[in-house]
Amino acid sequence: MSETTVTPLADHFAEQAERQPQSPALIWEGEPVSYGELLALMETSSAELEAAGLPADRPVGIRAKKSPEAIGLVLACLHARRPFLLPSIELASDTLAKLFAQAGTSQVLSPHGPRSESAASLRALVDDVRAEDTPGSDWPPASGAGDVTFMLTTSGSTGLPKIVPLTAAGVDAFTDWAAEQFEIRPGTVVANYAPLNFDLCLLDIWTTLKHGACVALVDQDRATQGAYLADLITENEVNVLQAVPMLYRLLVDVNREDGRTFPSVRHAITTGDKIPATTLAALPSLFPNARFYNVYGCTETNDSLIHEFVGLADGNVPSNIPVGQPLPGVTARVQTDDGEALEGPGTGELLVWTPFQTRGYLKAALNEDRFVSGPDNGHGERTFYRTGDIVRRHDDGTLTLEGRADFYVKVRGVKVSTQVVEQAIQEHPDVVEVAVVAVVDELAGSRLHAVVRREPDSKLNSLSLRQHCATRLARTEMPSTIEFVSEPLPKTSTGKIDRKRIKSDLERSDANGG
Amino acid sequence: MADDPTTMKIKQFIVEEFMPDVPADELDSDFDLLTGGVVDSLGLLKVVAWLEDEFDVGVDESELGPESFRTVAAIKEYVDQARAAT
Repeated sequence: MSETTVTPLADHFAEQAERQPQSPALIWEGEPVSYGELLALMETSSAELEAAGLPADRPVGIRAKKSPEAIGLVLACLHARRPFLLPSIELASDTLAKLFAQAGTSQVLSPHGPRSESAASLRALVDDVRAEDTPGSDWPPASGAGDVTFMLTTSGSTGLPKIVPLTAAGVDAFTDWAAEQFEIRPGTVVANYAPLNFDLCLLDIWTTLKHGACVALVDQDRATQGAYLADLITENEVNVLQAVPMLYRLLVDVNREDGRTFPSVRHAITTGDKIPATTLAALPSLFPNARFYNVYGCTETNDSLIHEFVGLADGNVPSNIPVGQPLPGVTARVQTDDGEALEGPGTGELLVWTPFQTRGYLKAALNEDRFVSGPDNGHGERTFYRTGDIVRRHDDGTLTLEGRADFYVKVRGVKVSTQVVEQAIQEHPDVVEVAVVAVVDELAGSRLHAVVRREPDSKLNSLSLRQHCATRLARTEMPSTIEFVSEPLPKTSTGKIDRKRIKSDLERSDANGG
Repeated sequence: MADDPTTMKIKQFIVEEFMPDVPADELDSDFDLLTGGVVDSLGLLKVVAWLEDEFDVGVDESELGPESFRTVAAIKEYVDQARAAT
């Protein structure tokens, strides 16, 4: 692998700062931070990094909540071409310590100066892990270290999150695609909903700063407050909005209460989860001037497929949302159970190759089975990423998501996708949200349990819901038990329904005989 | 039209056992319990055991096709016939 010759993203940012120092780069807690001010924050962090005299061939760790200072610190690392691990701050501290040790970080940095208490205590922890752990770090990656920039982690909820090193060229190509696709340029305001460690930030923060536009940052602590989010969009005249379906659901609720709409939004992107049809149908009245997209991607490959919804306002709301077409330069392949590429209609696992993708996890042993070699028409052999998503290719070539390969469970010997069941239940107009999990059953092996949050005034009960599902689901897909709740379902830090927690809570209460 | 006592009893049992959140009178006699996922093959055994207990009717294993128990009306008919035969 060749060393990078790509201009660091931070240098593009610095050019923008020179060109338009007074323009807002960030909006943070209602106040603008200009390009000049953010450049100064980057330079402060750069000076601190340099003064620390860290070994040049080792990454650093960043433990940071979203803030202008944290963004300045990331820019400083990008500018110095120093790889950095940016994990979620919500991870347990021993998990963080293990990750920092695995990445071979020479230092854990915090944006609030080298003497920050939290960073200092974490540093000691990293040293402990290093002293204990015989296997040591996995740095440098076998595929080369010279062009690694961001190291993000997968959201994997079992075991240690996987470290995904991204290359400068991959980030560069992605940020250029995103800027062109969503018209991100000086004068554009892009909302950033996701936490700083998310791959989504490559679009809403890093593309935006590279191309001279302005990021309106959502405070992580208020990410579930609909009125706050609505104000942020209105007051800053946000043009580009990218978020998980939950954000849109919150805005729909605000709209129902005060009729507020968001005419400044030109591009509304939903990603990370399947958006319920009821939420999707409400979007055109919320965003009268927007185009709507579903974007499909994962940390390993970044965005891979895009679907633009056409005719939503005319009631053209697909119940099964297409994942869309490959982005320019992306190859998508549908692979059947026997490992053959599927030509024509049918179902199989989605494999993708993107110009933005990682060369593999930092821990090389994890790559086997996830990254596989295959022919790509006109490009010889390429390394595809196995997404673990099962898709259906229709007669007209569109792809729709059937579910996660690991969402398939066996109920009385029959393969069932819990996501298909969730979707059928979600189509009932009184259902706000739903989770279907497979729980262990002594007799049946596993059985399906549905947790349904219904509208506050709804009379929906298990009989009427079963009637609704009867025409939509096969008998094996019908949940054995249906539980109604009025509280929101537990969510992960990314705003997705936390099915693992629901399942473990259920199994715990089953074990207690309750 | 009000349900006869046998039908009422059957409905009461089905909702108590399989759908405790549903009032018994909402359960339609013709509702397909199998397609609706209310009663599965294991549930069917519970229904049979209850019928034997409650109405003192013998259920011959060989007659135990799911069709006989697909709806409350079908169960009621089964009970009526079994009673008439004894």
